Amino acid sequence: MRRLGVVTDMTLREMLRRRGVLILLLALPLAFYAVRRNDSGEAIRALFLGLSWAISAAALFSASAGRAVEPRLRLSGYRSHHLYLGRLAALLVLGTGIGLPLLALVALDPAQSKVRAGGVALAMLLCVTVAAPFGLLIAAIVPRELEGTLVLLVIVGIQMVVDPAGSAAKVMPFWSSREIATYAVDHTGSGYLDRGLVHGVAFTVGLAVLVAVLSTVRLRTRSHMRFAPGR
Amino acid sequence: MLASPDVDQERRSQWLRGVLDMCVLAMVSSGESYGYRLVQAMEQAGLGPIKGGTLYPVLLRLESTGLVATDWRHGPSGPARKYYRITGAGQAALRQAMLDWQAFSSDVTAILRNGNAILQKGAEGQST
Amino acid sequence: MTINDGWLRDLNVELRRRGVPSGTADHVVAEAAVHLRDSGEPPMAAFGPAAAYAAVVSDSVGAAYQRARRPPPGPVRLRARDIGKRYRRHVVLDGVDLTVHAGQVAAVIGANGCGKSTFLRICAGLISPDSGTVQIDGTVGYCPQDGGTIDFLRPEEHFVLVGGGHDWSRERSRATGRAAAATLDWDASAPVLSRHLSGGTRQKLNLVMAGLGEPDVLLLDEPYQGFDRGTYVDFWQQVWRWRDNGRAVVVVTHMLNQLDLVDVVLDLTDASGGRR
Repeated sequence: MRRLGVVTDMTLREMLRRRGVLILLLALPLAFYAVRRNDSGEAIRALFLGLSWAISAAALFSASAGRAVEPRLRLSGYRSHHLYLGRLAALLVLGTGIGLPLLALVALDPAQSKVRAGGVALAMLLCVTVAAPFGLLIAAIVPRELEGTLVLLVIVGIQMVVDPAGSAAKVMPFWSSREIATYAVDHTGSGYLDRGLVHGVAFTVGLAVLVAVLSTVRLRTRSHMRFAPGR
Repeated sequence: MLASPDVDQERRSQWLRGVLDMCVLAMVSSGESYGYRLVQAMEQAGLGPIKGGTLYPVLLRLESTGLVATDWRHGPSGPARKYYRITGAGQAALRQAMLDWQAFSSDVTAILRNGNAILQKGAEGQST
Repeated sequence: MTINDGWLRDLNVELRRRGVPSGTADHVVAEAAVHLRDSGEPPMAAFGPAAAYAAVVSDSVGAAYQRARRPPPGPVRLRARDIGKRYRRHVVLDGVDLTVHAGQVAAVIGANGCGKSTFLRICAGLISPDSGTVQIDGTVGYCPQDGGTIDFLRPEEHFVLVGGGHDWSRERSRATGRAAAATLDWDASAPVLSRHLSGGTRQKLNLVMAGLGEPDVLLLDEPYQGFDRGTYVDFWQQVWRWRDNGRAVVVVTHMLNQLDLVDVVLDLTDASGGRR
């Protein structure tokens, strides 16, 4: 557990020191929200998308920064799960840290007085839990920051444009928060909530598993190495 | 006696390289001394300025072969210095070196003086 | 007086680097200091460059003989056998062998681009070869040529990160790292982000990270980029210290003036390491 804690701690410190990332994390969701503020539903959805995008970007940059060091950390005794779980945990902490003020904003904003705060909170949580492994996954597949950011842009762009009711939309990672937004804003029945929840949890788990597999493969002990029993 | 300035420096330093250890040994045979004083003494004796970088390795070699013994002492002025004195083995080596050098240098002097005569004598000896 | 001090310090490290025993080295430096004071001459005039003087002294002292009396090497810690690697159609390594025992230093030399770094990374297990095996008895530390640090973390945080792998407490990691940094003449406690360190200092960080945890095998890929002369000597002193402590050290280097001091030389100029 200590090893996990060390990785989480250092990952968090690294991210919090990057002004650009912090500004991105706060400004992006706020800007998206502010632009659509007059339309409550769209504002909330835009907020969610901005949050998702920001967390994914943070995850991408964090993973890229740590990439060179991770093999050496393996040599010094970490297992792969310490490394990717530690990074995920740090991103969750970060996401929560950003999410709480945003939640407060929504709860206190008179323009959003008719919104179900519980739904908003749940949707934000799912934004974070999906966005974090999603960003890590992009980093694992696309090794360079610039290309990874472009991929992220494309995905988020599609997410914004795609028809939420169509089947293509359900394949997009951040669809869950849109669904729950509808539940929160339009006071619909729990169907939207349930669908969103299932989608969100499924994507969280699925993406996390993919990240785990790719990390473990990348950081595996290679087949040509033979370790003697040691001293 | 100062060193003659027009002697070829290159040759001189080659000669010096051959005899420096024995000269140093001779200098400490009369009494112990330390590095800088030896440098000054050798310059006064006509060997010209000796660099520290030349002298100290020689002293080290003399010490490691047991011809001199050393100890650190606070002299009359200033910091602790490493003093060198000759050992019994050193005295013996010095005596031998003196004999060897006298023989060698007198041979060289003879050749320099009468080299052409020696050669001709040798040639005559062969032809007859 | 500072010129003298700098020269004397250089002399000290150069003597130790050449294996002159510590007591003798101290005496030589002290004697030189006194001579400079007595004569009033500048050190370059009286002795010449510190390195050259140290070389002459070490010959006189018979330091080479001292080195030969080191304890015999211990068990095999690294055995690379028949390593082959090609990129597209370019054969980089072809049947390369290297065996390093505990208490030995191996130098891997060869022209630029001939696969030295690749070979080392294969030995560290960071990349896979096309053929061959690497046997390691114990733990491994690896120091890359550059990179390998995290820009937005401080040096001490790097120590904590690496030390955490050994399950050390944070304070132990920090203290051990600081001590190792001090031997490279670097105060690592300053709260500077590693991206603001000079190239040479960042390499010191890399080196400390590699050695943290006292691994049995140290794989160092020309880690002295950007080192000033003094640190370069400090680095080699650390290598000899590691050797005396029974570690196996492999250093990729293109500086050939150390070759007479190492135990094993692997020349990768032709990709086979001289075997074929």
